Amino acid sequence: MTLLHATAISKRYGGLMALSEVDFRVAPGEFVAVIGPNGAGKSTFLNVLTGLTPPSAGRVLFDGRDVTRAPTHRRIRAGLGRTFQHGRLFARLSVLENVMTGAAIRTDRTESQLRALSLGMLDRMGLVGEAHRAVGSLSYGQRRMVELCRALACGPKLLLLDEPAAGLNLGEVEQLMARLTALRAEQELAVVLIEHNMGMVMRLAQRILVLNFGCRIAEGSPAEVQSDPAVLSAYLGEGYGNAQH
Amino acid sequence: MADFIQLFINGLALGSVYALAAIGFVIVYSATGVVNFAAGQFVMFGTFAGVAMLANAGLPWPVGYAAALLAMAAFGALFFIVVYLPLRTSPVVTVIIGTVAVGIVMQNAALLGFGSWPFRLVSPLEGITIDIGGAAISAHAAMVVVVTGLLVGLIWLLFYRTALGIGMRAVAQDVEAARLMGLNVNRLLALSWMLAAVLAGIAGLLLGPMWFADVNMGDPIALKAFAATIIGGFGSLPGAIAGGLFVGLTELLGASYLSSAYKDLIAFAVMILFLLVRPQGVFGERIQDRG
Repeated sequence: MTLLHATAISKRYGGLMALSEVDFRVAPGEFVAVIGPNGAGKSTFLNVLTGLTPPSAGRVLFDGRDVTRAPTHRRIRAGLGRTFQHGRLFARLSVLENVMTGAAIRTDRTESQLRALSLGMLDRMGLVGEAHRAVGSLSYGQRRMVELCRALACGPKLLLLDEPAAGLNLGEVEQLMARLTALRAEQELAVVLIEHNMGMVMRLAQRILVLNFGCRIAEGSPAEVQSDPAVLSAYLGEGYGNAQH
Repeated sequence: MADFIQLFINGLALGSVYALAAIGFVIVYSATGVVNFAAGQFVMFGTFAGVAMLANAGLPWPVGYAAALLAMAAFGALFFIVVYLPLRTSPVVTVIIGTVAVGIVMQNAALLGFGSWPFRLVSPLEGITIDIGGAAISAHAAMVVVVTGLLVGLIWLLFYRTALGIGMRAVAQDVEAARLMGLNVNRLLALSWMLAAVLAGIAGLLLGPMWFADVNMGDPIALKAFAATIIGGFGSLPGAIAGGLFVGLTELLGASYLSSAYKDLIAFAVMILFLLVRPQGVFGERIQDRG
């Protein structure tokens, strides 16, 4: 059973291969991390999956349907959710209104139900006290949590998180991990996490995909990836992986 | 005093029409970054839609007004599809020039269809006056002020109390993030244009009985609505309302107490003063270039 199945995804920008023939599968409820050095193509890969960037080649199947050519809002409606590497909240909307833009996907609900649902989500994130504040007045960590809450309000089956821990302090990272773990205990939610915080990746991910220069160089459990010579040389420099053996 | 009350209400009524035109202008600008130079012709189309439905087709006025506004909504959607969609990936200046071109086409289409002879759009409250503090106020002017007040309330409810309006505000701020919330961006942008067209249509229907319905009426209205948004703050809804009322009041009070030759002078002088001293207007944020 596969929730997301991307086959041979390539993305070319002029002469640069940002992604070349990347295959990727995510099972329902699975937690997968995508790691790689800066410029490895991780964010481009998420953009292709969400439809913000059309791939030069390859196919994306989501929940059994071919969504390669589907517009972004259709994919979100089908059950994809995403946060951005650099926070992209609607700065002139309140916290509650930001979450409501996500909740509004449920067109069968009334306005007051959407409002109640959004407030409930904020409550679970410990943010209900900030509901009517302007987003700009929140701390950086709070903003990242609002962004997560907004993506969850779309009711995703698969949540794509683009460096959610970037810029958070240690306590906030712990809090974020606790929330993600709690969420996944409550509902079947698959997660694809892009993250440079290796402690977080190793603790949460069941499987790790490693990209470098747009190519898949390794895939496997955290333990397998950590000892993979190709990964070590990508992160630590040419020859390091071989010197270990 | 009675004179002043009468002038004041008439000024408010005229200002309300400018405010409605300015709100339509601001909604399109906030959502798409496009300064709609055909905004005046939108209002003119509203007046002539009224002429076509009420005077020419002879529909009873509630049906005629509804039909005219439906036509305006359809026109807004058509404008979105024919002008905005094909040009949306070009620089915003191209779209702005596109609105100028369409404004010219609209004016000449009206000239072909209705001729250069002005029409008179009769108000449903024609000839009725209300006595306020000894002043005889035209019921139509009072209705214009009341209708505008109600519309402003409805627009506020739409933008701040409904998921649809919150989505429209979200699209205005970040199109890509809005797509990732599952919002159908094109549908919301089309709605912004339709809403602007309907508001311009209401402005046109209300203005018709106060002015003559003339195919050249668009440009002066657009100039006043533009002045209203500069004074109130470019891109700000409260600014459009305050600016519109200010321009309408100065126009009528200035014409009576100073000189009718200089009635436009005050509003435009204030606009120029704002451009020099406070270009962001009363309510506006600093204007930034957008992509």
